[in-house]
Amino acid sequence: MIRLVWRNLLKHPLRALLTVGSLCIAMFLLCTLRSVVTTLNAGVNSAQQNRLWVISSVSLFVQLPPNYQEKIRQAPGVAETCKWQWFGGFYQNEKNFFGQFACDKPELLKMWPEIEVIDGSADAFVKNRIGCMLGEGLAKEFGFKVGDTLPLIGALFPGPDGAAWEFTVEAIYRPSRPTLDNRTMFFGWDYFAETFRAINGGEESDVGVVVVEAEKGRDITEVIAAIDGMFEGGPQRVRTTTEAEFQRQFVTMIGNVPRLLSFIGGGVFIAILLACVNTMLMAGREQTHDIGILKALGFTDSAMFRVLIVQSMVLCVLGGLSGILLALLSAPVLAQVLQMFFPGYTILPQTLALAGVITVLIGLFAGIVPAWNAARLRCVDALRSQA
Amino acid sequence: MTQAMIKVRGLSKTYTRGGETLRVLDGLNLEMEEGRFYALMGPSGSGKTTLLNMIGGLDHPDSGELIVAGEDLSAIDGGELAQWRADNVGFVFQGFNLIPVLTARENVELPLSLSPIARGARRKHAELALALVGLSDRASHRPRQLSGGQEQRVAIARAIVTDPKILLADEPTGDLDRASGDAVLDLLVRLNREFKKTILMVTHDPHAAARAQSIVHLDKGQLLRIEQNPAYVLPDQKP
Repeated sequence: MIRLVWRNLLKHPLRALLTVGSLCIAMFLLCTLRSVVTTLNAGVNSAQQNRLWVISSVSLFVQLPPNYQEKIRQAPGVAETCKWQWFGGFYQNEKNFFGQFACDKPELLKMWPEIEVIDGSADAFVKNRIGCMLGEGLAKEFGFKVGDTLPLIGALFPGPDGAAWEFTVEAIYRPSRPTLDNRTMFFGWDYFAETFRAINGGEESDVGVVVVEAEKGRDITEVIAAIDGMFEGGPQRVRTTTEAEFQRQFVTMIGNVPRLLSFIGGGVFIAILLACVNTMLMAGREQTHDIGILKALGFTDSAMFRVLIVQSMVLCVLGGLSGILLALLSAPVLAQVLQMFFPGYTILPQTLALAGVITVLIGLFAGIVPAWNAARLRCVDALRSQA
Repeated sequence: MTQAMIKVRGLSKTYTRGGETLRVLDGLNLEMEEGRFYALMGPSGSGKTTLLNMIGGLDHPDSGELIVAGEDLSAIDGGELAQWRADNVGFVFQGFNLIPVLTARENVELPLSLSPIARGARRKHAELALALVGLSDRASHRPRQLSGGQEQRVAIARAIVTDPKILLADEPTGDLDRASGDAVLDLLVRLNREFKKTILMVTHDPHAAARAQSIVHLDKGQLLRIEQNPAYVLPDQKP
């Protein structure tokens, strides 16, 4: 019977190919979109529990006064604090864009244990005023090595006389958890602040975010209340959130990407389901006469049901598997392409399992009506139909 | 005394078409002996094909008794009836009814896939059946690559491959030219004489009917008469 199923599928090779092709694309999209969502969620889910992010209550784009860090450090339950300033520069031209942050170097290394220095040294990074630390992916992408000079053109903070800011690569890190991507550059707050003062006639730079490490065992909600309460009366009110919440809000800033992607994935699923149902209904109608012949030869109603269901399953599994395979094969390339927006893009086994289940479901749904019709068909009626 | 292969008692069947009720079989009584070749004749609408379908277990009577190969067909249904068909009946249709996507050998093999015979043995059986109908050299051809006569011979090979007790043929020469039709009829006569198959053939063609041992005439769903064919040569009378 498998031979019959296979030959029936190949009876209309173009139609079979188009259905398999559309299923392949649908499953590829489903795996890819789902992986983008899981990649976004991975950052949120694996966020450090005791790291808190203090930003202006107005918006992430409103800076905090520089003396806030010292005040925050005095709040009960605060163990460490680290400035975190978005630099927004680019290397050579605007296309070479990546995340750059001015931070308190010793605190950065202490508060982010997931930073593993794999080349150069953390000490050299701390000691060298213009020293910077690059993610492994970033270093590979641009071919940076330890000891290299890295000039950055400051889009938000132009260098002295409009020149580039100069950094020396002192360390290359590999993140051990997805809370940090491997395409970021860190450099010292001191270098940033001094240069800023020099350029702006002694004016102190504000800071975008102050990251807080709460003391171990402390109730996080109490620490958050203490920090927020400290600035209730101004001059700038703050909003303190957990790292997970901060990540979630950051993702939401670019729109509700997970929901949007889920809608697209759902749409793709429904469209392909309808296409497969249509294909199988056509196949079922075309095989009515053959079903009559088979029943006359002694094949049972349930055997006819199985023939149509297996036919649908073979068609859908071929398409689904090829889509899943395509998603897996293209994952390394997509990870590179999507690095800037969705760092750490990876296809989880759960995503593959979901795609597999959806493939089987499409196969079952597409085949169930023609299979049911084939089973119910009276032999004499089927034989009377046009061959 | 030869025993009855087919016993029909008070068989009735009505169809409703376009709001009109048609009585196709009307209390038909008939007996057919094992090992004989019957031609079933009658005008259109006389109930020939309906009777053939019922004897083959493809359709159910409204009332009456129908015993074929020792089985009361009005008492079985569904999977049981399908299995009975696979074990006891071989069909030959006017339009050949081969599966177009399968080769001649694969078509002949199909009924054997319902039996526990191993794949290798199935293939061998199918090749033997094709050899019997003189089509060994066409085993790998698809139906559309065969002539009408060849297609019908493949259909006969498929009908006999499981060694059924009864062969039911519905206008087997209806779509064939005279030469091809004669070849098919020769084959049916041979199957009856050499392999003792009980054959029931529906036909409009007196030339085809003349090859049968007995001719059963139906009209308006009732038995008109049964004629014996004096020209039929019994196996033991063959020259």
